[in-house]
Amino acid sequence: MVHTKFISVRLRTGALLLASVLGSLACSPTWAETGKLLLTGGVSSMDGAAGGGLTPWAMIGSNATDGELGASAYLARTSTKDYALTGYGAAVGLHNRLEVSLARQDFNASPAVGLNAIAPFGVAPHQHIKMDVLGLKLRVAGDAVLDSDSWMPQIALGLEYKDVRPGSLRSVLNFLGTKTHGTDFYVSATKLLLAQSVLVNGTLRSTNANQNGLLGFGSGAPGRNSRSWEPEFSVALLLSKSWAVGAEYRFKPNNLEALGAAAGLGPALREQDWKDIFVAWAPNKNTSLTLAWVDLGQIVPGITGFRKQSGFYLSGQVAF
Amino acid sequence: MTKLLIALALLAASLLPGPAFAQDAAGGNTLYKALGEKTGITQIVDNFVGRMVADPRISPMFKNTKLPNLKEQLTDQFCVLSGGPCKYEGDSMKASHKDLGITKANFNMAVEHLQLAMDGTGVAFRDQNRLLALLAPMNRDIITK
Repeated sequence: MVHTKFISVRLRTGALLLASVLGSLACSPTWAETGKLLLTGGVSSMDGAAGGGLTPWAMIGSNATDGELGASAYLARTSTKDYALTGYGAAVGLHNRLEVSLARQDFNASPAVGLNAIAPFGVAPHQHIKMDVLGLKLRVAGDAVLDSDSWMPQIALGLEYKDVRPGSLRSVLNFLGTKTHGTDFYVSATKLLLAQSVLVNGTLRSTNANQNGLLGFGSGAPGRNSRSWEPEFSVALLLSKSWAVGAEYRFKPNNLEALGAAAGLGPALREQDWKDIFVAWAPNKNTSLTLAWVDLGQIVPGITGFRKQSGFYLSGQVAF
Repeated sequence: MTKLLIALALLAASLLPGPAFAQDAAGGNTLYKALGEKTGITQIVDNFVGRMVADPRISPMFKNTKLPNLKEQLTDQFCVLSGGPCKYEGDSMKASHKDLGITKANFNMAVEHLQLAMDGTGVAFRDQNRLLALLAPMNRDIITK
């Protein structure tokens, strides 16, 4: 509890810091000159890092290139059959080298009240799960856009520290033996095949997060508490300077299903891979909108009639 | 899931060979045509250079440049790169940019002007990118700061 509060304060301080950095950037004369090419920096991923919708890319967020500072902010909403996720956040890009991002997610977990029928968990109606994500990303090699005469991609190392506040679902997370904070580490390789107008990204993530962290980290199931490496892929076709379409696939761990099965609940806690198809539109250098059809698989299918959680994702970003 | 992976793999395979290695004899001539041959390239370059010298962020770099000369060299260069029947006899990229202190941001600004110049003569986006893919690696000789 104390730890959580500490983190929360730290994140709030971080947000203030980010806001003041954004403020000071707004007065900087380099502001309007930041020179990345349109849509080549990706958009804001759901965890705040620059990338596709579901997965981070090796791009350093904002319009800033070498020798420049830039910033971006986003607001996103996902609605599936039984759940909804609102997210917002900001990122700062330093010299096209380092990216610092903050994201806050609010997950409407209303169906979770059904867990009270399994055991007296005391889950409140209309319970929301909130999560903060602090992201760091360092570009270590390559230029995804300009190295168009070689296969060498842009490569970045990143981490995402996640802190989840489950509210009355804490009793459930305790029962599952999951922690309320955790860190994902990843390496991303992104390549713009310029002559083909196609962008490809591969990310390998070391994670012990359940449902990206919304259901905590690790698991009380024997042999299911450790990290695993999960690949994530994005492909985008650039149709024009301002339009791109693409698809993503994100493999996920499935560390809670065994626990549910051991408790006689069958596959009630199953976790499945995430995928989407998207269209992104950048009417100008500072604005982009992304609309996606997402399939998040089954999310705690035991309380949602084993329905597949598919629906729309809409995200807007401003970047400087 | 399997279906999507197969689709991704097929898409990736269809891209081969990905990166544009300087001269592509088969596709080269087509790009030259797509740029509007010598007439089109001359127009593109005229517009491109005009845009750059009108942009106060990068115009100082052209203060010692003879513009007609620059246009001629760029026209020849784009013509050769795109597979056209020309000869480039100008200086190397390294020699001609070495004292200009060009940053990556400056380079990208020039790319944007070139994109707009190609928009102006109606070159399709995908063909624009084919030319940019041949020019982008020159950033290593052009960006010195």
